[in-house]
Amino acid sequence: MILIGELSLWVALLMAAWAGVTSFAGGSLGRDDLITSGRRGIYATCAMVVLASIGLWTALLTHDFSLKYVASNTSANMPKVYIFAAFWGGQAGSMLFWSLILSCFSAIAIWSVRDKARDMAPWAAGTLAMIMLFFIATVCFKANPYDRLSFVPADGRGMNPQLQNPGMAIHPPNLYLGYVATAIPFAFAIAALIARKLDAEWLSIVRRWSLLSWFFLTIGITLGMWWAYVELGWSGYWAWDPVENASLLPWLTGTAFLHSIMIQEKRGMLRKWNVVLVVTTFLLAIFGTFITRSGIIESVHSFAQSPVGTWFASFFFASTGVTIYFVATRLKDLEAKAELESMVSREAAFLYNNLVLVGIAFSVLWGTLFPILSEWVRGTKITVGPPFFNTVNVPLGLLLLALTGIGPLIAWRKASTSNLKRQFAVPVTLGLAVGALLLVLGMRDLYALIAYTLAGFVAATIGQEFYKGIGARRSIHGEAIPIAVVRLVARNRRRYGGYIVHAGIVVLFSAFAGLAFKKDHDIQLRGGESKELVDPLGHKWRFVSQGTSTSESLNRFVTAVGLEVWRDGVPQGIVTSEKRQYYDSNKNPLFEPSTEVGIRTSAKMDLYIVLAGVRDETAELRISFNPLVVWVWIGGMIMAVGGLIVMWPQAERRRAPSGYVATLEPAKRELAVAPR
Amino acid sequence: MNRRDFFARGAAIGGVALFGARTLYAQQSANQTAQPVAPVAEQQSGSSNLFEMDQGATKSVRLTPKPGARASMTNDQRDALEHSIRCQCGCTLDVYTCRTTDFSCQVSPAMHRDVMAAVEGGYSAQEIIDAFVQTYGERALMAPKKEGFNWAGYIVPFAALGAGATALITVLRGMQRRAQPALVSAAGPKLGTDDEMAKLDAAIRRDED
Repeated sequence: MILIGELSLWVALLMAAWAGVTSFAGGSLGRDDLITSGRRGIYATCAMVVLASIGLWTALLTHDFSLKYVASNTSANMPKVYIFAAFWGGQAGSMLFWSLILSCFSAIAIWSVRDKARDMAPWAAGTLAMIMLFFIATVCFKANPYDRLSFVPADGRGMNPQLQNPGMAIHPPNLYLGYVATAIPFAFAIAALIARKLDAEWLSIVRRWSLLSWFFLTIGITLGMWWAYVELGWSGYWAWDPVENASLLPWLTGTAFLHSIMIQEKRGMLRKWNVVLVVTTFLLAIFGTFITRSGIIESVHSFAQSPVGTWFASFFFASTGVTIYFVATRLKDLEAKAELESMVSREAAFLYNNLVLVGIAFSVLWGTLFPILSEWVRGTKITVGPPFFNTVNVPLGLLLLALTGIGPLIAWRKASTSNLKRQFAVPVTLGLAVGALLLVLGMRDLYALIAYTLAGFVAATIGQEFYKGIGARRSIHGEAIPIAVVRLVARNRRRYGGYIVHAGIVVLFSAFAGLAFKKDHDIQLRGGESKELVDPLGHKWRFVSQGTSTSESLNRFVTAVGLEVWRDGVPQGIVTSEKRQYYDSNKNPLFEPSTEVGIRTSAKMDLYIVLAGVRDETAELRISFNPLVVWVWIGGMIMAVGGLIVMWPQAERRRAPSGYVATLEPAKRELAVAPR
Repeated sequence: MNRRDFFARGAAIGGVALFGARTLYAQQSANQTAQPVAPVAEQQSGSSNLFEMDQGATKSVRLTPKPGARASMTNDQRDALEHSIRCQCGCTLDVYTCRTTDFSCQVSPAMHRDVMAAVEGGYSAQEIIDAFVQTYGERALMAPKKEGFNWAGYIVPFAALGAGATALITVLRGMQRRAQPALVSAAGPKLGTDDEMAKLDAAIRRDED
């Protein structure tokens, strides 16, 4: 199977090239046989990459240490689940995994448009085939997981212990799914530009795949934060590392696109801007991959001295060049079909939202690249860490939070003064009330106060929208509240799913603001000694050391400390934190010792205990009180659920073809365009 | 070429390739002898995407104590200072966070000792930061100093946002101007009071999605 897998990889390379050539030739010559052959080439490429992947999984699970990749990323005593996950744990495997997802997505996308979008399909297939060709060629020539060692080691090196975590088993696949899904809208954008057809069919395809990408990126980013928090042991979940930034960039532009596409659907506006956002999202995914795999930027996650960087840089610049050419030569075809009528309208609010989202993306990109720029200009290496990103992005994030509430309250086309008063009165009052209450209660952190005030405002806007919708259903249909809620969401999935996403954003920002009140303590405890600490909410905590212990488990030596914990005199049980030294089958130590954090989670605050080390039977501990952290994961989940509701297919079928104006009867239509 | 031909040729080529590769593989395997060596450099390259510590990155930052020196700051202030100095082991964390959470790092404890000695020697936070920058370069800081070219780092994102906002407003105003004559000519006289129009708007909003 391993040999078949290796061969399949090379056949996949040929198939991708074939699919690309025949699709483009078929599209330009208008020959159906070539177009069909190109489409089948995509399916065949997918099948070959699946075989290549099965081959690598077979090698990993059968411990074929003659393969460099298997020997470098696994050892015989590793749990099976992590051996399976080792597929994407290293450079070469992750590239093959990327190719696997890309080929599957491409096959599904091309299959789903086999009977429609005839003008675009061959160009989209050709573009996707070229992207696949690049990835498979990179795997074959620069990062081949089937490369063999000149000898067969008795055991492998194992996987970095920090990757041996459930979060790491599921977080990268989600991120890859999100990254790779951006290729489909990109391919259809290029296809639409070539075919000069940016119509409703294009919108429908691109929106569906963009939502899918956004959904997986949201889950992937949230899981990544969770993994960093529970595994890395520095008591935080986001460090503005280039790899983290690389995942955030396409999410930001993808989010901007999902808002601005509504304007194109309803008003036929922003066609140029939407194409730019679609291609930018894909290019940022590629660019992020380049900067983290080339080693040009220092990162805790980067693949050092990776040989694929140059290839990615070339691909990035080639894709950018092609995109610029097609956009520049099709500008006339992208003219808007309507004009904006008021600066105070839903359309304008979405544009302000787009401006801030793209602004944040730019600032993140700028901060990530600034060390390189500084080195070029001044010849001096500098570090751009969290203090920089927080200084720049916190104000922008708060602005975005404000717009999250403002946008949905403003009417399409033009908002009247009375409309604004009626829509904003309650949310603004509630938001200010939240801020005033927190001020009275003693909160003095300016950014936190603003964040909670805005969170109160946005939460009230969402509540108001649901209240009105449920009220309308109850008065018209006489439904009970739970039924009215379910039907309201089910019948307006895009709108109310979007509000649920916004609710997730509110929860997320509230949790972020909680970090302003985080407290850290360094303590040393021998067995039987105790220490009392006060958390940010004024609770008194008592920690009694149960002493340190050492043990051996599966593939590691473990040094642990147990702390008996009381809060305000109430016992909270024992919290254990560990240092682990992983070893191979011959008990040779692997990697540096890793930390297993002791975490006691509650809705208000996490107790976070890190065993930094043991000296003379004295445990050196860092104890942190991290307010509201659990709400980060909950907020992420709420956003994902909202995204799932929005992209549920039924919602697409039930939508009126052109939205706002088209749903009106002729008499109402006349009224709708009247100035107020 | 019809489908049958395509598959027949594909199978033939695949078979030849498979045979060739298998022969090659068998020769390769025969040449290899099992060696009980695991962590060799060849295996390690590109193995995972997590950094490997540079334990030798420490440089000495020794400041001569000032005459009659006393500790220049409290422990909390010292910890806050260490939050702004970057550990050089490659972890991208600050000295305080790295030394309190990872005992395997030998760099952050050494940097911490230098900070403590400077604090005991009566040096201010700025003087200590300057000494670290002189020894390690600006990479010793968690964020670039707000001076010279570094200002570009802080200002450009806001300047870009400002430029984007200006461009957006200009474009929107242009669109608004173009839209007005068309609306006036198409809409005719006003068809309701503000309140009536607001009710209509609410009704439309309920239908819109």
